[in-house]
Amino acid sequence: MNAPVLIVGGGPAGLAAAHALSSVGRPNILVEKMDRLGGAPILSGYAKLVPSGEWAKDAIGGMVSRVMDNKTTDVRLNTTVKSFDGQPGNFSAVLNDGTTIAASAAILTTGFTHFDSINKPEWGFGLFPDVVTTTQVEQMFSSGKGVHCPSDGRTPKRVAILLCVGSRDRQIGREWCSKICCTVSANIAMEIREELPDCHVYIYYMDIRTFGLLEQKYYWRSQEEFKVKYIKARIAEVTSNGSQLIVKGEDTLVKRPITIPFDMVVHAVGMDPNVDNLTIASIFGVKLEPNGFIDRKNTYGIMGATNREGVFVAGSATGPETIDDSIAQGQAAAMSALGMMNIGMAAE
Amino acid sequence: MPIHEKHLIRPENIKSHDKLVMDGIDISGHWSTFIETRVVKDYNESLQDEIAALPGGEYVHRCWQCGSCTNACTVNAINPDFNPRYWIYLIRMGMESELLRDKDIIWQCVSCNKCTYVCPREVAPEGVMKATAHWLELKGHTPQSPSTIFDDVFSTQVIETGKIEDSLVVRNFFQRTGQSLTQDWLIEMVKRMVAHLPVKMLMALGIATVLRPRTKNWGGARDAIKEYVAEQDAHHRKALGLESLVEMAKLEAAAPFKQAAE
Ligand SMILES: Cc1cc2nc3c(=O)[nH]c(=O)nc-3n(C[C@H](O)[C@H](O)[C@H](O)COP(=O)(O)OP(=O)(O)OC[C@H]3O[C@@H](n4cnc5c(N)ncnc54)[C@H](O)[C@@H]3O)c2cc1C
Ligand code: SF4
Ligand code: SF4
Ligand code: SF4
Repeated sequence: MNAPVLIVGGGPAGLAAAHALSSVGRPNILVEKMDRLGGAPILSGYAKLVPSGEWAKDAIGGMVSRVMDNKTTDVRLNTTVKSFDGQPGNFSAVLNDGTTIAASAAILTTGFTHFDSINKPEWGFGLFPDVVTTTQVEQMFSSGKGVHCPSDGRTPKRVAILLCVGSRDRQIGREWCSKICCTVSANIAMEIREELPDCHVYIYYMDIRTFGLLEQKYYWRSQEEFKVKYIKARIAEVTSNGSQLIVKGEDTLVKRPITIPFDMVVHAVGMDPNVDNLTIASIFGVKLEPNGFIDRKNTYGIMGATNREGVFVAGSATGPETIDDSIAQGQAAAMSALGMMNIGMAAE
Repeated sequence: MPIHEKHLIRPENIKSHDKLVMDGIDISGHWSTFIETRVVKDYNESLQDEIAALPGGEYVHRCWQCGSCTNACTVNAINPDFNPRYWIYLIRMGMESELLRDKDIIWQCVSCNKCTYVCPREVAPEGVMKATAHWLELKGHTPQSPSTIFDDVFSTQVIETGKIEDSLVVRNFFQRTGQSLTQDWLIEMVKRMVAHLPVKMLMALGIATVLRPRTKNWGGARDAIKEYVAEQDAHHRKALGLESLVEMAKLEAAAPFKQAAE
């Protein structure tokens, strides 16, 4: 029961779990497949986060250095787990560099994969350079380059943001709501209006899901202070007339077809299950829920428990989650692992 | 893809040819009928700004299209085509031609403000109706509506004299709107007033009609108000991209301020 806890995935959830364990002096190993910690907000270069308004590189960067600076966490970058066997309190994992490590428990914080807009060809991504994703716009802000049309670098006069790209769409087998993209889009719309006051921003939506306190701060504020326009329509196709993008759909509130020119179209991409999930499921012996996210054993019992005793899960590995919820779940899973070990030691 | 719902088909969009022969086949009349689509081809972004620049229209951009205003609306209950929610949408998205289709009913808002009380976003739809009617008038799409003529007559008198004399307001209003002073209901109303009002009050009414009281030393206030009104008007016209002075002269010729106050 004294072996370290294995944490797989160094995003917000994994960083929170590592910090929680270190703060009570429990040794842990953080395995990350990429060359940096931080997860999506760092790897994909997000700009200002919702709802804090803090820059991702500061907020999540702070979480990273807190873990890097604490010797109780053994960080292994460019690393994946190849096999995982044993019993709670007494697991052994083989890593991709061939080393074997002992672990008392494992916490899977392997996160999500961004939806690839190529899978919705009718919306023009990959065909027209000025059709971009929310991730790309985040990068325009975080890199300091500012919002511009990739085709010729001009600043757009009119931007359309299409919601639910890769979410809530049976056509492509994705029935879930990605939870954060409405809020992220409203935030991006305000940032564009702030940077380019002459640029008009239209958001095409089916429903607006800026849940909880985000309603006022993002949905209302984007309309009331930034005059962002919301149009209830699911866009049928994005084409081009050679100089501008043409967005076609139906404005459902006035029952009218629309064929409107735009300079830039932004896909609010959703959160897919991690592409590695089938591998992760077979290595760790955990079940996936029907959409392909890692299944939680129960909702109200032991936080983060999976069907395999001693293996826990947290964050967007379980389904679309916000950063703050992922952090909370990471801490909760750490607590569950500690609790399990405590019971184990009492029994020994 | 065009949408063919019967109630959305407009007579002016139906195209048919009385005589049409193609490849030797006669497809005259109904056979060659087609319906032009009502496609929105662009957003006119200045429309919302223009309405927002007029008093009452300031909060039009807040609307989220819940329909509470239309549901609560007094006029909508009588005329289903009177739809504040819909017009607010047209304004926000800049569908000007669509808005103009309803130019002859927008002014019918009775300012009951039921909409104002139900609106969850504090758009103040009543104000938007006022601003829209104002916009239609300033842009020359509609003549002055009876209600704005009444406002004009009323405010002109107050501005000129610092007092309000009801019978003069009514007479001027009737004159400006070309209505007779000897309509049955009016005669009946006066008769009953004479029969039921206290004598003292009737006498006061009579004296006021003849003497037309004024507030003492009103001149300074009058000039200041007039200056302010002119300033506001110039400001509104500018927001709508209208030639301020020229247009003002035209408006004054059409609806002179002085007329009611002699
Ligand atoms: C465009 C966009 C903007 C967003 N903006 C916000 C925002 O402003 N605020 C907010 O609250 N949320 C935002 N989100 C959601 C946010 O990205 C997630 O909530 C958060 O990243 C979840 O953290 P996580 O640790 O669960 O997963 P991730 O961030 O995905 O981290 C998972 C980590 O695990 C690693 N990993 C994956 N598989 C393996 C493996 N097999 N072995 C080892 N390591 C592995 C990955 O490399 C990654 O580092 C946004 C999402 C999108 C798509
Ligand atoms: S959060 Fe909004 S944009 Fe994202 S999937 Fe849900 S409804 Fe669609
Ligand atoms: S104020 Fe006008 S728009 Fe509002 S409810 Fe009354 S009549 Fe309808
Ligand atoms: S009640 Fe207010 S928010 Fe609702 S449709 Fe009317 S103006 Fe818009």
